[in-house]
Amino acid sequence: MALLEEPIKEILKLRNYINGEWVESESEQILDVVNPATQKTLAKVTMSTKDEVNAAVEAAREAFPEWRQTTPLARARYLFRLKELMEDNFEQLSRVQTMEHGKTIDESRGETRRGIEMVEVATGIPSLMMGYNLEDIATGIDEYVIYQPIGVFCHIAPFNFPFMVPLWFSPFALATGNTFIVKPSPRDPISQVKLAELMDEAGIPPGVYNIVHGGVDVSTNLLEHPDIKGVTFVGSTPVGKVIYRKCGETGKRVIAQCGAKNFMIVMPDCDQERTVAALMTSFFGNTGQRCLSGANLVIVSEDDAFYKKFLDAFVGAASKIKVGYGLDESIQMGPMQTVDSKKSVIGYIECGIREGAKLILDGRKPNVVGDYPDTAFLNPTVFEGVTPGMTICEEEIFGPVASVLRAKDLDEAIEICNANSYGNGDAIFTSSGKAAREFQYRVESGNVGINIGIVAPMAFFPFSGMKDSFFGVLHGQGRDAIRFFTESKVVIQRWF
Amino acid sequence: MELNTASEVISFAKKLEEENAKLYEDLAQRYMEGREILLSFARENRKNMVQIERTYYEVITDAIEGCFSFKINPDEYTLKTDTLNKTVEMEERIIKFYSDAAEQSKSLLADVPRVFTMIAKKRGERKSKLEELLQKGKTNF
Repeated sequence: MALLEEPIKEILKLRNYINGEWVESESEQILDVVNPATQKTLAKVTMSTKDEVNAAVEAAREAFPEWRQTTPLARARYLFRLKELMEDNFEQLSRVQTMEHGKTIDESRGETRRGIEMVEVATGIPSLMMGYNLEDIATGIDEYVIYQPIGVFCHIAPFNFPFMVPLWFSPFALATGNTFIVKPSPRDPISQVKLAELMDEAGIPPGVYNIVHGGVDVSTNLLEHPDIKGVTFVGSTPVGKVIYRKCGETGKRVIAQCGAKNFMIVMPDCDQERTVAALMTSFFGNTGQRCLSGANLVIVSEDDAFYKKFLDAFVGAASKIKVGYGLDESIQMGPMQTVDSKKSVIGYIECGIREGAKLILDGRKPNVVGDYPDTAFLNPTVFEGVTPGMTICEEEIFGPVASVLRAKDLDEAIEICNANSYGNGDAIFTSSGKAAREFQYRVESGNVGINIGIVAPMAFFPFSGMKDSFFGVLHGQGRDAIRFFTESKVVIQRWF
Repeated sequence: MELNTASEVISFAKKLEEENAKLYEDLAQRYMEGREILLSFARENRKNMVQIERTYYEVITDAIEGCFSFKINPDEYTLKTDTLNKTVEMEERIIKFYSDAAEQSKSLLADVPRVFTMIAKKRGERKSKLEELLQKGKTNF
């Protein structure tokens, strides 16, 4: 199959987008953005200075009063224009994601679609932002609540969904009348630059939406800035904990969506063929680099025949996955996003072997479709005989590695799930409503799948999470996001 | 080579429709008595292309089995021809493609199998029209 055309033809020099202008950074610290499949440099990104962060915050702060007074209907119309531009540029946006992240083109298009859905939902702001009221709380006295925007919010973005994740927040922040700053991941910031270009084209007023490139220093500057009213973060649990603590200390609102170790529970009465297909997406989609990926596969059965049959089908399907450059439409799994990520995954595989798990599919020597350096590629890996307590059962690997456990019944499977410190996206595969209901009721996981391997909530539902997978109160997306980005003002009125 | 990903299958379907459109336009030049009906097939092919692409782009999501749903061998479903006589057999293969693709894409959002099923049905109606045309052609062409 021929390769789809690459939209990035020459090395880009990425700039900050502050106050409606594309601004060169004065920093001399510059990183390469590398296509993980070809290892070619796609762009140069500068790590912004503290002054540049301050300029972005200042622009957002100054833009806030007027943006806040722009009517919700008018704000929604900006988002309608943005949505149309995103549709017009759908394919280019998707291919950029594949180039900078490595995911397959189907995955990138799925990510673009999800991002657009966030904008679509936020266009409903005139209804979503309505408060409520009650007349006659006492004779002649009425009480009502108004939701008001708060000010400047920021987002510290992860590398694994470079286009979609910032959109879990920014359309809701803008729709509610706040102003916003995004710090993209320096590993794959190009699609956020493309999005900002569309924001600019949509006519979003200067300062309302800003982009500042950088790493830890920029994040710290944003976290410590007194004019930032709230922070949204998606990334690892250790960093999420730091951000949550810092926001607590400085009185900022926070959504910190963090790491995961998701369990996929397979019951003997599942539809085997469709379950295996769903599990391929769950464990190996996005090369395992997502917080909703399956990580631990728990096969529930005391029957050796079922266990073996299911495991053989799972391993057989995993071993046939085509690995290569995602712009080749036949590819089912792309590379790891960086060479260091690959090294980290290999470290976990070696740890699994040391701790006594049985390696039944070894992806360390990748079989890559096409003529690409195997620098960042891995093939799917499967361990059998994994038990709670083993590192590969407990820690987030963030790569295409499946750890297979066995449980005698559903009770034991749920106990295994709940003993894990994370609680992001666990799922059960069964044809029994009773088993599904029991699982849904008892499992300690913010997002629960029933015959769904990737429990990704749609834009009009909150992206939930529990335990070490989430720090905060309100979540991203949906009504939670509307509440997060607004303050409730209660008015009690009486007229003499 | 087997097609496994949604992107591959959508590209294959679009290619089929485009090639068919050209074929029917070409046949319309050569079989004047069936000209209008053959041109209507070509127009329908182009509409199908748009509909397939639009449906895919509207419902594709990374959260379900876009990369793992299909086992389509394109050779089973294609028949190269430039004569009217072979078009019925060609349509039969295409109907089978859309029917198989609909069955295999059940795990995707419902719109994708629905559009495949709808096109399979339209191609079934087309096949009947082609058979009628060929029947007439025995005396007229």
